Amino acid sequence: MQFLFTVGTLPVALAILAARHFRLERNIFGVTYSLSNGVLSAAGMMALFAAYRSGGNTSVITAAAALYPMITVALAVVLLHERVTRIQVAGLVLAAVAIVIFSL
Amino acid sequence: MHLAPWFWFVALALVCAGVAGLLQKLSTNHMSAESALIWLVVGFSVLIPWLYFGNPMAKYSAPSLTWVFVGGVLNALGSWALLAALESGGKAAIVIPLTSLYPLIVALCAPFILHESTTKAQGVGIVCAVGAVILLSM
Repeated sequence: MQFLFTVGTLPVALAILAARHFRLERNIFGVTYSLSNGVLSAAGMMALFAAYRSGGNTSVITAAAALYPMITVALAVVLLHERVTRIQVAGLVLAAVAIVIFSL
Repeated sequence: MHLAPWFWFVALALVCAGVAGLLQKLSTNHMSAESALIWLVVGFSVLIPWLYFGNPMAKYSAPSLTWVFVGGVLNALGSWALLAALESGGKAAIVIPLTSLYPLIVALCAPFILHESTTKAQGVGIVCAVGAVILLSM
Protein backbone atom coordinates (compact mmCIF):
# COMPACT_ATOMS: atom_id res chain seq x y z
CA MET A 1 0.00 0.00 0.00
CA GLN A 2 2.89 2.33 0.82
CA PHE A 3 4.09 1.75 -2.74
CA LEU A 4 0.85 3.09 -4.21
CA PHE A 5 0.83 6.00 -1.74
CA THR A 6 4.26 7.00 -3.05
CA VAL A 7 3.13 6.59 -6.66
CA GLY A 8 0.23 8.94 -5.85
CA THR A 9 2.69 11.80 -5.33
CA LEU A 10 4.02 11.51 -8.90
CA PRO A 11 1.03 13.06 -10.78
CA VAL A 12 1.23 16.19 -8.62
CA ALA A 13 4.97 16.55 -9.26
CA LEU A 14 4.45 15.99 -13.00
CA ALA A 15 1.56 18.50 -13.13
CA ILE A 16 3.71 21.15 -11.40
CA LEU A 17 6.59 20.37 -13.74
CA ALA A 18 4.30 20.75 -16.79
CA ALA A 19 2.92 24.03 -15.42
CA ARG A 20 6.51 25.26 -15.21
CA HIS A 21 7.03 24.28 -18.89
CA PHE A 22 9.42 21.55 -17.70
CA ARG A 23 11.88 24.13 -16.42
CA LEU A 24 13.31 22.98 -13.13
CA GLU A 25 15.57 24.91 -10.77
CA ARG A 26 18.89 23.14 -10.25
CA ASN A 27 20.51 25.03 -7.40
CA ILE A 28 22.90 22.44 -5.98
CA PHE A 29 21.98 23.18 -2.36
CA GLY A 30 18.25 23.17 -3.06
CA VAL A 31 18.47 19.91 -5.03
CA THR A 32 20.61 18.23 -2.36
CA TYR A 33 18.34 19.29 0.50
CA SER A 34 15.17 18.31 -1.38
CA LEU A 35 16.45 14.93 -2.55
CA SER A 36 17.71 14.17 0.97
CA ASN A 37 14.34 15.25 2.30
CA GLY A 38 12.54 12.77 0.04
CA VAL A 39 14.89 9.88 0.83
CA LEU A 40 14.75 10.56 4.58
CA SER A 41 10.95 10.83 4.54
CA ALA A 42 10.63 7.47 2.81
CA ALA A 43 13.29 5.90 5.06
CA GLY A 44 11.47 7.22 8.13
CA MET A 45 8.24 5.59 6.96
CA MET A 46 10.02 2.30 6.33
CA ALA A 47 11.58 2.46 9.81
CA LEU A 48 8.14 3.07 11.28
CA PHE A 49 6.69 0.04 9.48
CA ALA A 50 9.67 -2.02 10.67
CA ALA A 51 8.90 -0.90 14.24
CA TYR A 52 5.28 -2.08 13.85
CA ARG A 53 6.46 -5.43 12.49
CA SER A 54 9.02 -5.94 15.28
CA GLY A 55 6.36 -6.64 17.88
CA GLY A 56 6.12 -3.37 19.83
CA ASN A 57 2.92 -1.86 21.16
CA THR A 58 1.23 -0.10 18.24
CA SER A 59 -0.13 2.78 20.35
CA VAL A 60 3.24 3.48 21.95
CA ILE A 61 5.07 3.33 18.62
CA THR A 62 2.56 5.63 16.90
CA ALA A 63 2.55 8.14 19.76
CA ALA A 64 6.35 8.20 20.02
CA ALA A 65 6.90 8.57 16.27
CA ALA A 66 4.30 11.36 16.05
CA LEU A 67 6.56 13.58 18.15
CA TYR A 68 9.00 14.08 15.25
CA PRO A 69 8.14 17.81 14.93
CA MET A 70 9.85 18.38 18.27
CA ILE A 71 13.10 17.14 16.69
CA THR A 72 12.60 19.67 13.89
CA VAL A 73 11.93 22.44 16.43
CA ALA A 74 15.13 21.62 18.34
CA LEU A 75 17.17 21.51 15.13
CA ALA A 76 15.63 24.75 13.82
CA VAL A 77 16.40 26.59 17.06
CA VAL A 78 19.97 25.25 17.31
CA LEU A 79 21.05 25.16 13.65
CA LEU A 80 18.89 27.84 11.99
CA HIS A 81 18.84 30.10 15.07
CA GLU A 82 15.07 30.49 14.80
CA ARG A 83 13.54 32.24 17.76
CA VAL A 84 10.36 31.05 19.43
CA THR A 85 8.37 33.28 21.78
CA ARG A 86 7.10 32.05 25.15
CA ILE A 87 3.55 32.00 23.81
CA GLN A 88 4.68 29.84 20.90
CA VAL A 89 6.52 27.51 23.33
CA ALA A 90 3.21 27.08 25.14
CA GLY A 91 1.66 26.32 21.75
CA LEU A 92 4.35 23.72 21.05
CA VAL A 93 3.62 22.00 24.38
CA LEU A 94 -0.11 21.93 23.58
CA ALA A 95 0.68 20.62 20.09
CA ALA A 96 2.81 17.81 21.53
CA VAL A 97 -0.01 16.83 23.90
CA ALA A 98 -2.56 16.90 21.05
CA ILE A 99 -0.30 14.85 18.75
CA VAL A 100 0.18 12.17 21.41
CA ILE A 101 -3.56 12.02 22.18
CA PHE A 102 -4.49 11.76 18.49
CA SER A 103 -1.92 8.99 18.04
CA LEU A 104 -3.34 6.76 20.78
CA MET B 1 20.29 -1.75 29.51
CA HIS B 2 18.57 -3.72 26.76
CA LEU B 3 16.17 -1.83 24.54
CA ALA B 4 13.61 -3.59 22.36
CA PRO B 5 14.23 -3.61 18.56
CA TRP B 6 11.13 -1.51 17.92
CA PHE B 7 12.64 1.31 20.01
CA TRP B 8 15.57 1.67 17.62
CA PHE B 9 13.26 1.67 14.59
CA VAL B 10 11.09 4.38 16.20
CA ALA B 11 14.23 6.40 17.06
CA LEU B 12 15.33 6.10 13.43
CA ALA B 13 11.88 7.16 12.19
CA LEU B 14 11.92 10.15 14.58
CA VAL B 15 15.36 11.30 13.46
CA CYS B 16 14.55 10.84 9.75
CA ALA B 17 11.27 12.75 9.93
CA GLY B 18 12.71 15.41 12.25
CA VAL B 19 15.72 16.09 10.03
CA ALA B 20 13.45 15.99 6.94
CA GLY B 21 11.50 18.90 8.47
CA LEU B 22 14.70 20.91 8.76
CA LEU B 23 15.66 20.04 5.17
CA GLN B 24 12.30 21.31 3.94
CA LYS B 25 13.15 24.75 5.31
CA LEU B 26 16.72 24.63 3.97
CA SER B 27 15.54 23.61 0.49
CA THR B 28 13.09 26.52 0.24
CA ASN B 29 15.93 28.88 1.18
CA HIS B 30 17.51 27.98 -2.17
CA MET B 31 14.61 27.28 -4.55
CA SER B 32 10.85 27.68 -5.01
CA ALA B 33 8.37 25.43 -3.22
CA GLU B 34 7.38 23.93 -6.59
CA SER B 35 10.92 22.87 -7.50
CA ALA B 36 11.57 21.67 -3.94
CA LEU B 37 8.46 19.44 -4.15
CA ILE B 38 9.49 17.95 -7.50
CA TRP B 39 12.98 17.07 -6.23
CA LEU B 40 11.45 15.79 -2.98
CA VAL B 41 9.21 13.40 -4.96
CA VAL B 42 12.26 12.23 -6.95
CA GLY B 43 14.06 11.46 -3.68
CA PHE B 44 10.93 9.85 -2.27
CA SER B 45 10.59 7.65 -5.37
CA VAL B 46 14.13 6.28 -5.05
CA LEU B 47 12.88 3.87 -2.40
CA ILE B 48 9.79 2.74 -4.38
CA PRO B 49 11.30 -0.68 -5.29
CA TRP B 50 11.91 -1.45 -1.61
CA LEU B 51 8.36 -0.42 -0.78
CA TYR B 52 6.95 -2.66 -3.51
CA PHE B 53 8.77 -5.92 -2.74
CA GLY B 54 6.83 -8.35 -0.58
CA ASN B 55 3.72 -6.22 -0.74
CA PRO B 56 1.53 -7.55 -3.59
CA MET B 57 -1.35 -5.19 -4.26
CA ALA B 58 -3.61 -7.90 -5.70
CA LYS B 59 -4.80 -8.77 -2.20
CA TYR B 60 -6.41 -5.33 -1.77
CA SER B 61 -9.73 -4.21 -3.26
CA ALA B 62 -9.88 -1.62 -6.03
CA PRO B 63 -11.61 1.01 -3.81
CA SER B 64 -8.89 0.57 -1.15
CA LEU B 65 -6.14 1.03 -3.71
CA THR B 66 -7.92 4.07 -5.15
CA TRP B 67 -8.18 5.72 -1.73
CA VAL B 68 -4.50 5.07 -1.03
CA PHE B 69 -3.59 6.61 -4.39
CA VAL B 70 -5.78 9.64 -3.65
CA GLY B 71 -4.07 9.83 -0.25
CA GLY B 72 -0.71 10.04 -2.03
CA VAL B 73 -1.98 12.84 -4.28
CA LEU B 74 -3.32 14.78 -1.28
CA ASN B 75 -0.08 14.18 0.61
CA ALA B 76 1.87 15.74 -2.26
CA LEU B 77 -0.49 18.74 -2.39
CA GLY B 78 -0.14 19.15 1.39
CA SER B 79 3.64 18.99 1.11
CA TRP B 80 3.51 21.67 -1.61
CA ALA B 81 1.47 23.96 0.68
CA LEU B 82 3.88 23.29 3.56
CA LEU B 83 6.90 24.13 1.40
CA ALA B 84 5.14 27.29 0.16
CA ALA B 85 4.55 28.33 3.79
CA LEU B 86 8.25 27.84 4.53
CA GLU B 87 9.27 29.63 1.31
CA SER B 88 7.15 32.64 2.21
CA GLY B 89 9.06 33.12 5.47
CA GLY B 90 7.43 30.68 7.86
CA LYS B 91 9.73 29.35 10.57
CA ALA B 92 10.38 25.59 10.54
CA ALA B 93 9.97 25.61 14.35
CA ILE B 94 6.38 26.85 13.91
CA VAL B 95 5.20 25.57 10.51
CA ILE B 96 6.21 21.91 10.96
CA PRO B 97 4.48 21.42 14.38
CA LEU B 98 1.46 23.37 13.12
CA THR B 99 1.00 21.18 10.05
CA SER B 100 1.49 18.03 12.13
CA LEU B 101 -1.82 18.86 13.80
CA TYR B 102 -3.63 17.59 10.68
CA PRO B 103 -5.34 14.79 12.71
CA LEU B 104 -7.49 17.63 14.08
CA ILE B 105 -9.24 17.75 10.68
CA VAL B 106 -9.75 13.96 10.79
CA ALA B 107 -11.11 14.12 14.34
CA LEU B 108 -13.53 16.91 13.42
CA CYS B 109 -14.75 15.27 10.18
CA ALA B 110 -14.88 11.61 11.28
CA PRO B 111 -18.18 11.90 13.22
CA PHE B 112 -19.95 13.37 10.17
CA ILE B 113 -18.34 11.41 7.32
CA LEU B 114 -17.43 8.09 8.94
CA HIS B 115 -20.12 8.23 11.65
CA GLU B 116 -17.48 7.62 14.32
CA SER B 117 -18.02 8.83 17.87
CA THR B 118 -15.48 11.11 19.53
CA THR B 119 -13.98 9.85 22.79
CA LYS B 120 -13.27 12.11 25.77
CA ALA B 121 -9.53 11.78 25.15
CA GLN B 122 -10.01 12.85 21.54
CA GLY B 123 -12.09 15.79 22.77
CA VAL B 124 -9.16 16.86 24.97
CA GLY B 125 -6.88 16.40 21.95
CA ILE B 126 -9.12 18.64 19.83
CA VAL B 127 -9.10 21.38 22.50
CA CYS B 128 -5.29 21.15 22.83
CA ALA B 129 -4.84 21.23 19.05
CA VAL B 130 -7.08 24.28 18.63
CA GLY B 131 -5.23 26.01 21.49
CA ALA B 132 -1.90 25.09 19.89
CA VAL B 133 -2.97 26.49 16.51
CA ILE B 134 -4.00 29.79 18.13
CA LEU B 135 -0.82 30.13 20.22
CA LEU B 136 1.54 29.11 17.40
CA SER B 137 -0.10 31.63 15.09
CA MET B 138 0.55 34.54 17.48
